[in-house]
Amino acid sequence: MTTTEGPRPGDREIVPPRKPPRPWWYWAVAAAVIAFTVYSGRRVGFSLTSLKDLPSNPLWEKFWPPEWDWVFANAIDPLIETFQIAILATLVGCLLALPVSFAMSRLTSHNTYTYFGSKAIMNLIRTIPDLFWAKLFVTAIGIGAFAGTLGLIIFSLSVMVKLFSETIDAADPGPLEAAEAAGGTHIASVKVGVLPEVLPNYVAYALYVFELNIRASVVLGLVGAGGVGRVLEAQRQFFQFDRIMGIVILLFVVVFTLEQISVAIRRRLV
Amino acid sequence: MTAPTEAEVAVVRPRMARSKLVFRYGVTAVIIIGAVWSFTSLDISVERLRTAPGDIWKILRLTVPPDMEGDFVSRVFGKVLESVYIAWVGTMIAALISLPLAFMGAENTAPRWMQLPIRQLFNVIRSFPELILAVLLLPITGLGAWTGTLAIGLHSVGTLGKLSTEAIESIDFGPAEAAQAAGGNRLEAIRWGVLPQVLPTIVAYWLFRFEINVRASAVMGVIGAGGVGSELINQLNFRQFDKAGTVLLFTILVVLFIDTSSAAVRRRIILGGGTSESANTEVFRDLSGLTGPGLT
Repeated sequence: MTTTEGPRPGDREIVPPRKPPRPWWYWAVAAAVIAFTVYSGRRVGFSLTSLKDLPSNPLWEKFWPPEWDWVFANAIDPLIETFQIAILATLVGCLLALPVSFAMSRLTSHNTYTYFGSKAIMNLIRTIPDLFWAKLFVTAIGIGAFAGTLGLIIFSLSVMVKLFSETIDAADPGPLEAAEAAGGTHIASVKVGVLPEVLPNYVAYALYVFELNIRASVVLGLVGAGGVGRVLEAQRQFFQFDRIMGIVILLFVVVFTLEQISVAIRRRLV
Repeated sequence: MTAPTEAEVAVVRPRMARSKLVFRYGVTAVIIIGAVWSFTSLDISVERLRTAPGDIWKILRLTVPPDMEGDFVSRVFGKVLESVYIAWVGTMIAALISLPLAFMGAENTAPRWMQLPIRQLFNVIRSFPELILAVLLLPITGLGAWTGTLAIGLHSVGTLGKLSTEAIESIDFGPAEAAQAAGGNRLEAIRWGVLPQVLPTIVAYWLFRFEINVRASAVMGVIGAGGVGSELINQLNFRQFDKAGTVLLFTILVVLFIDTSSAAVRRRIILGGGTSESANTEVFRDLSGLTGPGLT
């Protein structure tokens, strides 16, 4: 055995593996994304100086200190109304979502027409933002909490059916087949074969939708659909920044607390 | 032979535990009380319930056919595009800010004292709805698209940060350990061991957020923070329902277009070019909205 010949490990030149070449469209996509970002930035008035000056704007002083006396005297009742809207909308929206979700799932849908029909309608409804619905309802039936509730019902329904129908899709088909084989009617089979499996998810989603609704209901008043947003809108128009700040802090505390509670319950459920 | 009747076959069902039953009835009672309390104080009379569907139908029918006059259509389309620009720039701002923050908040890439404040920061930011942020920013930055962009950018930092942190925490830490064993420091380990693993997921989250932000920015116009919302409010206030119909039509078309194309890109990023179901399928299912926080 010779020891002088042949390269030793230490002598060898290290050759890193070569990077695979980028596909031809890689740079085209990158360039397009950058170009679109720059163009959009111009269109929305993006400016770094404005970003830099933001914290030092003298107007911020008008926000502080918050006018707490006024806030507690005037914002509490609308805030309660806000939560009533959220509660009612969550409840009605989620109840309506139950049958619609089963119609929208391949597993439990009775026939192709209900499947595609409900899916198309729900997708269409979901493309319109919640505040647009609220504004439409305000126009149709007048200013107030009723319009806001209806708006949020539509919103809850559209979110809930999406989440829940996808859960039903993923459910185990075995029990349903067994129930149908045993001679159950369609609805009865779904009730004993699918519902028990997905019910915990349903409750968890309902809580999640409730969290969404709490946040959404806060701004309903900006279009006249009731709740605490109405107070916010009025003070905004009179440039009462200290009151706005008070309301916003109050909202933050309440929304944050409710959210944490709901998240804790949801974690226990699933 | 006849089938046995119900009386003949004694069906014995499993009983539920007592504590569980109490819990169940308790929750039901709370829900019912909450609903009744809300319903009675919200000034919703039976009379209004009866007439409301008709009134709503009347308005919705008036929006069809939409006003398709050339000038107006191009104005509305421009406004919808402005909403898209707002959403895009806002998402980009949030992406740039949230990416480093997410690494600072994740269990496996940051020291413990750094994680908690960062995570709480995400939670706090998330609790402010975009529109509330815009109401606060409006007097400072003025009416216009820039205010909406900032509000959306800020709010998205919270959600993107939370989702990205979770993505980072669910990785295989082996490559990062290998990088460290080869003498790399923490930053290098993240760059070569973690980032390549999480970037596809995180980019998919960015796109998903962009889809949500398009809807959020459409609403910004309600308070004058740019985008198509102001147009809808004006047309509805002046009761020009055919013009409101145009606004709704273009909003729907653009949102649908962005949703479907973005979802296609997301699928491609997560699943790759092939058709094989990879381990990332689950992540993809999360992206489609099944995990809670992603949707907000």
